[in-house]
Amino acid sequence: MSESNMTTESVMVGTSSLIEALLQGNFICRTTDEDAWRALQSIVTREHIEQYLNQINRTLATAAEGEVYFCGYQELGDAERKVVSSQFRDVCQSLTPLVEWLVLVQEANGADAPLSQGVPIRLTELQTRIEDTPAFREQLAKLSQYRLFGSTSTQVDNQIKLVFKRLLELGYLIKPNQDKQIYIATGKLDYLYEVIRFIDETEALNLEAQAESSIQQDLI
Amino acid sequence: MSNHLHQAGSKFLKLLGRHSDLIMDAYLSGSVNETEVDPKAIEKLSKANVLWRPDVEQELRLTGTVRSMLENALSDERNRQIDANSGSALATIKTLANHYKEARHNVDHAAAEAYLNDLNEHVYAFTESLAYSTRVLWSRINNEFGYVGTINAKIRENELAQSQVTELLNGLEMFQFDELTEIAGDIRELRKLMVTTLQEALSQSIEELSLVQSRLLELLGRFRHIQGRTRLLKGWLLHQDMHPEYSPESHASHKTVPSLFNHAAAILKPAAVDVRNTLHETELMQLVAKVKSFSDRPQTQTAHEDLSITLEDTVAFDITESQLKLDVDQYFCDVIDSGVRQSALEYLRAQDLNWDAESWIYQVIGGYEGLPEEQKHFFELEPLGESHPIYNGNFIIKDVELWLA
Repeated sequence: MSESNMTTESVMVGTSSLIEALLQGNFICRTTDEDAWRALQSIVTREHIEQYLNQINRTLATAAEGEVYFCGYQELGDAERKVVSSQFRDVCQSLTPLVEWLVLVQEANGADAPLSQGVPIRLTELQTRIEDTPAFREQLAKLSQYRLFGSTSTQVDNQIKLVFKRLLELGYLIKPNQDKQIYIATGKLDYLYEVIRFIDETEALNLEAQAESSIQQDLI
Repeated sequence: MSNHLHQAGSKFLKLLGRHSDLIMDAYLSGSVNETEVDPKAIEKLSKANVLWRPDVEQELRLTGTVRSMLENALSDERNRQIDANSGSALATIKTLANHYKEARHNVDHAAAEAYLNDLNEHVYAFTESLAYSTRVLWSRINNEFGYVGTINAKIRENELAQSQVTELLNGLEMFQFDELTEIAGDIRELRKLMVTTLQEALSQSIEELSLVQSRLLELLGRFRHIQGRTRLLKGWLLHQDMHPEYSPESHASHKTVPSLFNHAAAILKPAAVDVRNTLHETELMQLVAKVKSFSDRPQTQTAHEDLSITLEDTVAFDITESQLKLDVDQYFCDVIDSGVRQSALEYLRAQDLNWDAESWIYQVIGGYEGLPEEQKHFFELEPLGESHPIYNGNFIIKDVELWLA
């Protein structure tokens, strides 16, 4: 009896922190909050949360094939539309700086795959590589000046620290240990890819084909 | 005959053992560096068909059979060779079975036994090679084609593996068990080998190969996904370069907003503390205990450092006396003038002064206590009042009387 009470209680505590995180506008993924993400894999928990959220015109939304969860509006009135549009504008403005950053990290690390959820970045290693390569230094200097990052410094050290600080604030990275310069990419990045893919498909930009043909030209 | 074969075989193996370093170097580097090794050894190995020269201009290499024996023994993951030639194996098995049947029919027991041994060898070799092929495929899958570096190479390797699986499966389809059953007839040994053993091995292989196939497809999907993301990013930057004015359409302001962009604004702020909640009392107490009290705080040093003190001559200044004090002074003077005992409240009412009774009494008492000692003993002040009905020791002053001592 007491045990069953305990379990229902712990489930309740779990969903309360989950709902709190959702209402704070957070993206929940395996990297940011593994327990919450696991709880969301259960349909019972999802229904429970959905029921609660529906009372305040919110709904549980998911992206990147269930890798991230976030809170959306259930009904879109004028006020909600305004919020959604302005958020979309923000996302669009941050796309190019973020993409440049992703490409820089991928190239500097010599990685096959671009950064995605759960991939760690060792800041000191990355910084050394960027400092040693003039092309990377230029890319960093350019992207750090975007309004999203807003750096005015000419030092690689300051630029990269500010960029990472902003990415932490925006929720694209987490820093599991405050004393170590190791960052981990979150599911919000996977969300970002999905946004780009959506724009690509709806506006028929053929981004992949463009990239492919330029790679072919490079090979020739 | 068999004794002779045995001797030749061990001689060959000893030869391999003696030159193991040379053979392994050749295996790893692909060819033999003829300038560094003993020409005699090379000659011996070439004669034994361990090394061969594909072309006059070319360096010596290991022969395929030695190479595949080593790959097999070392489970080398670089081994991409898969023997998908089930057709010839099937033909050999059928032929040997017919030989065996004929020898049995002619009651030539020695020949029949030799054919049966051969048949055994071929059937088991075939099932083993099937198992080996699947194992090679799995090991390639398990390290995700780790022996090549780029995603594009991985995709090509995956496609090669898939074509090999398809070929293997096509080869296995050639085995028609009704035909084999017919050849085996009612001979127990043949049925066991050609029907039971082969069927078991084949059904297991087909099952595993279809698993392999699905895993390969899954991996290919993942590789393409990764490749797609890289291209997506590159494509985005290219597009930005070519169309600097480009900005995405406002997808979020359509009538139906894509669920991807339906992200609600943050509405929750941290909750406030309820100090009346007794359940939280201990936690709150602990929190309060952690808050540094003001007295404990180190004095802010900066304030002291910045403070420059200039000493100036003190200038005489007057304190403007309040009207209340002046009225009390007047009350004292009137007592002196009249020389009679005078209640403070009565005086207040008589003079029609606009002071609150309590403040007045306080000021009178204060005025009396504030007198210098030599003036104080000219006066007597008696508080009028009563003890508190419940709490003893408390005396409530209702009025005071002042007179000249």
